[in-house]
Amino acid sequence: MSLLEARDLSVSVSLDGQAVPVLRRLNLALEPGKVLGLVGESGAGKSMIGRTVAQLLPPGFSVTSGSLMFDGRDLVRMAPARRRGLLGRDIAFIPQEPLTALNPVLTIGAQMDEHFVHLGMTGRQERHARAVTALEAVHLPEAGDLLRRYPHQLSGGMCQRVLIAMAFASHPRLVVADEPTTALDVTIQAHIMELMAELQRRDGTAVLFITHDLRLAARICDDICVLYAGAVVEQGPARKVFGLPSHPYTRCLQLANPSMRGARRALYALPEQMPGLRALTGIAGCRFAPRCPVAADECRSLDPPLAGDGHKAACLRSELTASIDVGDARRPPAPHRGQKPLLEVAGLSKRFTSGSLFRRSATLAVRDVSFRIGAGEFVAVVGESGSGKSTLGRLLMGLESPSAGRIMLAGQDVTIGTEAARQHRIRMAQMVFQDPQSALNPRRRVGAIVTQALEAGGQRVSRDARERRAGELLAEMGLSPEMATRTPSQLSGGQRQRVNIARALCTVPKLLVADEIVSGLDVSVQAQMLTLLQRLRQELDFAMLFISHDLSVVRHLCDRVLVMYRGEIVEQGATEAVFAAPQHDYTRTLLAAVPAEL
Amino acid sequence: MILLATLGRRLLVAVPILLVVSVLLFVALRVLPVDPAAMSMPPNATRDEIEGARRQMGLDRPLPEQYAIWLGHAVHGDFGRSIHLRRDVLPLIGQTLPGTIELAVCAMVVASVLGLAGGLLLFSLRGRAAEAVAETGTTLLMSIPEFLWALLFIFVFGVLLQAMPFTGRLDPGLERPVVTGFLLLDALLVGRVDVFRSAAVHLLLPAVALGLAFAPPIMRVLRSSLLDVYHEDYIRQARLRGVSETRILLRHALKNAILPTLTLMGVQFGFLFGGSLLVEVIYSYPGMGNLMVDAVRNADLPIIQLVGLTYCVVVLLINSLVDGLYLVLNPRLRKR
Repeated sequence: MSLLEARDLSVSVSLDGQAVPVLRRLNLALEPGKVLGLVGESGAGKSMIGRTVAQLLPPGFSVTSGSLMFDGRDLVRMAPARRRGLLGRDIAFIPQEPLTALNPVLTIGAQMDEHFVHLGMTGRQERHARAVTALEAVHLPEAGDLLRRYPHQLSGGMCQRVLIAMAFASHPRLVVADEPTTALDVTIQAHIMELMAELQRRDGTAVLFITHDLRLAARICDDICVLYAGAVVEQGPARKVFGLPSHPYTRCLQLANPSMRGARRALYALPEQMPGLRALTGIAGCRFAPRCPVAADECRSLDPPLAGDGHKAACLRSELTASIDVGDARRPPAPHRGQKPLLEVAGLSKRFTSGSLFRRSATLAVRDVSFRIGAGEFVAVVGESGSGKSTLGRLLMGLESPSAGRIMLAGQDVTIGTEAARQHRIRMAQMVFQDPQSALNPRRRVGAIVTQALEAGGQRVSRDARERRAGELLAEMGLSPEMATRTPSQLSGGQRQRVNIARALCTVPKLLVADEIVSGLDVSVQAQMLTLLQRLRQELDFAMLFISHDLSVVRHLCDRVLVMYRGEIVEQGATEAVFAAPQHDYTRTLLAAVPAEL
Repeated sequence: MILLATLGRRLLVAVPILLVVSVLLFVALRVLPVDPAAMSMPPNATRDEIEGARRQMGLDRPLPEQYAIWLGHAVHGDFGRSIHLRRDVLPLIGQTLPGTIELAVCAMVVASVLGLAGGLLLFSLRGRAAEAVAETGTTLLMSIPEFLWALLFIFVFGVLLQAMPFTGRLDPGLERPVVTGFLLLDALLVGRVDVFRSAAVHLLLPAVALGLAFAPPIMRVLRSSLLDVYHEDYIRQARLRGVSETRILLRHALKNAILPTLTLMGVQFGFLFGGSLLVEVIYSYPGMGNLMVDAVRNADLPIIQLVGLTYCVVVLLINSLVDGLYLVLNPRLRKR
């Protein structure tokens, strides 16, 4: 018998008094001791399934039909007190953001102790001993000391270990892990996944693994469920689903992921985005049809059932799925113009000091960094959080002042601090920030945002000129001109990131500093962005310093790569060469941590 | 350790602040169009006699020199003599400050208890029909100032029901024990239950009137910070571990939501101290407020000067105390 089984499970949200389906007649089963991966773009309903398990749905959401059986009992119709008895005991959850999932004002010990009280342990000594054992099981050193600490004194990886220790402390039968490593560094991600696998084997736990990372899912899941718009479009053993996808959506997602091995190929940029909840109700037939490359007329009228034996797909034309492909993409030849480099950084250091007047401590965020970027060249900076990547970007933009070293931009020293140097830097270099949600002023219209650079330096630019420039920029970004009158909140995530990039390109800079601009985006939107950046590079001929933690994206986009570790550049070279034969231990660790090919 | 260091640093900063405030007070009081010398003389005094008094008081010297003299005396504990009462100023403050502190602290306790309980109630009503009623209720409460409560209480409990006394600090027949100056404490120290009861009853109406006026903002802030905290991941994660709702509210959410509330309460306590002035006058309560009102009426500059400084010291002390409490309650501020 399956441990967890959804039978025709439907969840709806009430929008303006109208019930809009979020999950549609979902059927899935998780066997004891197995790992079931739920994959799909954001908004597909992955997390909603996890929430339905705990019956902690957001306000307005409710289960409208079907059942969710756990060990033969229906979680949906169970009395709340009884369900709460299961939570933390038989069913445990591992969260996405470990740093915020622990209460900041309670010690680790207090939170673990509370959990053991919930598990019915009465003796204080016994609980303490169990807490120490649990922390040791997740390979946290000095467990006794750790129990006295507060969450903010721990790193993200350590917090996640604590949460995993709590989750597995009761030897649960089911663990729901919702993007448990998304917020962590790649190297830590690998350790956390190993740890989960170890504990899962120890206890024979079944795991519901929710992720947007197909590569990670392929590595750790036994079975896969691909969700689109609240419905299962493909399910089956992971090997089969990723080995030979039956549904065009799975295939497109696969092709949107940059590869880590073999020849560099173009990315499949799924058009648009998954339709919003309301729009979905208006679609007859297959809900993927509007974005599907092999859709035919029949797809727009018939809702395809999930068909197949063992490996199922909901597609009328699944025989065409394998035909969807993208060609190899040659990297544009790296520019060797024999001129002076566009950017030349020599001996750059940044020291941050903190503490009181008498007990100052200094950290070298960037130490003695030297490199060059040629005109039109895309150079990546990779490294884990705290390695100084972002500080380097901020130093280049003059958002931080260097403690030592020099930055030459197009032959002029921009670290000398004169007004002329500042103006030169602004003309030559622009920055794109990571999170467009917070980088775009929510009270301004898109047209004004993208032409913001024209306000700089007291120059007078006529309203007409600004509107014209906004129109050009939006067209270049593949956005319609009507967008100019909207505010950022009226745009989708992908559109917002396009506006974010457009703003940096307004005055046609020669260097773009991009800090993690595709992380946090769905893989389809990420593919759109990467394709866009490559096109813009051809048209506008700018160089880019691309700060990223995602090595597959770097491999796809950048000519050269700088590897940073503890503020230093430990390795640099042509992307292919570095990835094929890494010289530094740290580079090898980084590369080894990326899950193998799909 | 870190707590002591913070408090120490706070007190160090307090010295320049007090100097600046004393200068401001000094200058402000000297530019007022009042002549303390003339007011201290009998009405039939001649111009020369007034001029002589001015010289004697040092009012004919330049302002910086006057300030230097005042400061020189002040650091030796001499804050001058009251012009009107013809007594040293410092003992006057010593006699009236404890009463005001007693009133303010009791009022703050009332405000805190009502504010926290009201905030929890408002929060627990979220999303229900009663929420709108409760919101209207707090808005109404918020718009009633302390002097209105004071007058209302006198009318209802003092005049209509005749259940409570509403003047002074003690029944007339009782003798006041003096140990620390804090009446409630002194009564307990000398073991006089009757005095304690009488003092407490006298304190009740002014303290509740003052506390009621300051409770509604605490309710509001606690409610909204609880709403914020309930969106945090750790609340959801606690639920997912099967922690009960009561425990989530009282142990997980309240401990976080209390922090912004505490900041507000610290600010409020300063205002409350100033707000006690009106209540003291209404209840003829012999505290610093009444002393101040009399001093202003008589242009008694030395008293006004010292009351102003005392007020500043109290606010600084409260701020340090709140900072200390913050350190205790918020481990994120205790850096290693």
